[in-house]
Amino acid sequence: MHRRDFMTGAAAGLAGLLVAAATVPAMAAAKELRVLTWEGYADEPWVKAFEARTGAKVKITYTGSVDEIFAKMTASKGEDFDVIAIETSSYKRLTQEKLIQPVDLSKIPNAANLLPAFRDVSAIMFDDKPYAVPFAWGSIPLIYDKAVFAQPPASWNVLWDEQYKGRIIAMDDANNAIVTTALLLGYKDPFNLTDAQFAEIKAKLLDQKRFVSTYYAGFDDGVSIFAQGGVDLMMSMGEPQAPMLRKKGVDVGLTIPQEGAIGWIDCWAISAGARDPELAHAWIDAMLEKQVGTYISEKTGYGNTTNAEANAAIGLTYADKLVFLQAPESFARRIDLWNEIKATPVE
Amino acid sequence: MTDLSLATSGAGPMITGTPSPRRRQARRIVLRLAVYGLPALLILVPLATFLVYSFWITVDGQVVQTFTLANYIDFLAKPVYRGVFVGTLWLASIVAVTSLIFGYIIAYLVWRLEGRLRYLLLLLSVIPLAMNYIVKIYAMRSILGYNGFLNWLLVTVGLLEAPSKQFIFNQTAVMITMAVIYLPYAILPIFLSLERISPSLMAASADLGGRPGQTFRNVVLPLSLPGSIVGALFVMVLALGDYLTPQMVGGNQGFTFGRAIWSQFGMAFNWPFGAALAVVLLLSVVLIILAAAVISRHARVK
Repeated sequence: MHRRDFMTGAAAGLAGLLVAAATVPAMAAAKELRVLTWEGYADEPWVKAFEARTGAKVKITYTGSVDEIFAKMTASKGEDFDVIAIETSSYKRLTQEKLIQPVDLSKIPNAANLLPAFRDVSAIMFDDKPYAVPFAWGSIPLIYDKAVFAQPPASWNVLWDEQYKGRIIAMDDANNAIVTTALLLGYKDPFNLTDAQFAEIKAKLLDQKRFVSTYYAGFDDGVSIFAQGGVDLMMSMGEPQAPMLRKKGVDVGLTIPQEGAIGWIDCWAISAGARDPELAHAWIDAMLEKQVGTYISEKTGYGNTTNAEANAAIGLTYADKLVFLQAPESFARRIDLWNEIKATPVE
Repeated sequence: MTDLSLATSGAGPMITGTPSPRRRQARRIVLRLAVYGLPALLILVPLATFLVYSFWITVDGQVVQTFTLANYIDFLAKPVYRGVFVGTLWLASIVAVTSLIFGYIIAYLVWRLEGRLRYLLLLLSVIPLAMNYIVKIYAMRSILGYNGFLNWLLVTVGLLEAPSKQFIFNQTAVMITMAVIYLPYAILPIFLSLERISPSLMAASADLGGRPGQTFRNVVLPLSLPGSIVGALFVMVLALGDYLTPQMVGGNQGFTFGRAIWSQFGMAFNWPFGAALAVVLLLSVVLIILAAAVISRHARVK
């Protein structure tokens, strides 16, 4: 259905291109847009439509990790790419190292499509200038076994409940563990913790360790352990784990407890070394088409930032309850804390 | 990269033309450079890179290229990393000793067999080497897990009323899994050191009135022990670097030094500290291998 929409769009674009090519043939031939992104964020339907509409060639480089994005961007001060997609907590470092440039929203008319929760994301604003445009989002939710819980657990405190000792699994990730605990403890700013708050979080997480059966390492690992049985609760890595578990025959529910939960947003940004900033803006504008957002939600199971119905269709209606990730005061300190917790033996 | 292009441009005319001796000489040097130089480059450059990195430092999320021992001092000063390092060494030693004992028993039994059966069994015992390592961990998890084979068996037989969680997500599970995964690496060298013992020595022992037990104690064991220890040290090296097995079956006790190194990369972006930890691990591996070399040389002289 939507694919067909894209195809019609592509055909229309192609016709437009033919006209454009007849008038300005030299310009159309030289343009190239170099995209650095995650798999699934530059799929054929909209890449083809974009190429047809602008006459540019899109060259996509897929990345497997944030590290890789930084390595590729720093290697050439951003000269090798025009646009990148990366998660909100990386923007502090990206702007510090001057790897990206501000986005001119007047060149992105589709920014009007953005849902309210994504119009004013502080993590991507620096010096009052937006440096990126939100594209896809998700959360770090709580997943529970419906056979054990008739009602979804109301609070993250359930992960500290003696009753579920040894029946809880949590993801092995320093920042997510610390921020979620900070939310439970009601801290105003979970990204800039004081020494006293660090100490309190450490005590709290050590207290939880007695109840945690294991810290799992990835999406599939968490699903596989949960599906093996003996697990009631999981601090999840993200929404797709719920359908994965149901597919394995475990009837699970997913909830955002009353304290809120971590949210992440992958945003498009323009590299400092972009060859053709106009074209880069045009790409971001195209990414904010509602069809693209719909496709993202239907295909990946993540939230999109433009089509509320498509979000609702997969149950992602809670963007306003999320605290979107920002760069913390010190990743190194958080990693050290988490390593300490993992290294401390408990009963 | 340059070496590679040299090699191809050097190899090209060798097939087609009839070169002078001098050109042939030059080409041979280029070829030799490619053959020895390229692997050396591919191994030494990454090693040198992380050695250099370990003397740099991260300030405000940015790597500063100075020369400092701060990362090594940090390693010694922070009890977490020191503690995890010692814990991991201890774990690897236990795995090595377990592999030595069980590997020796298996290798000895196989070695005592006659004819074809012997090599067939040897082959069977090392077949797991051909299996993917991750698959083996998952397999162990489905044996030891809550709804795993072991629990199913014990419940079916009636020894347990309900599945137990004692077999998975603890230190014991890590040791069992590692011992199973690394056993074949111990069996092979132990078998080889048994195989090297000349049959005439055992015949001599028997001729002189030695009972089988005495022959084993005084002839077989002393002659095969050095090689067996080398095998165990080899297992120790493998276990030392393995952070995935503890992570996957060790539960909340599955934190090892490899994972601590891993944690310094990614979002932490503390490559210099991660590199320093990696250098510490590499040095301990080198020490273990040196010990193995000394033991095997000592054995050969005898």
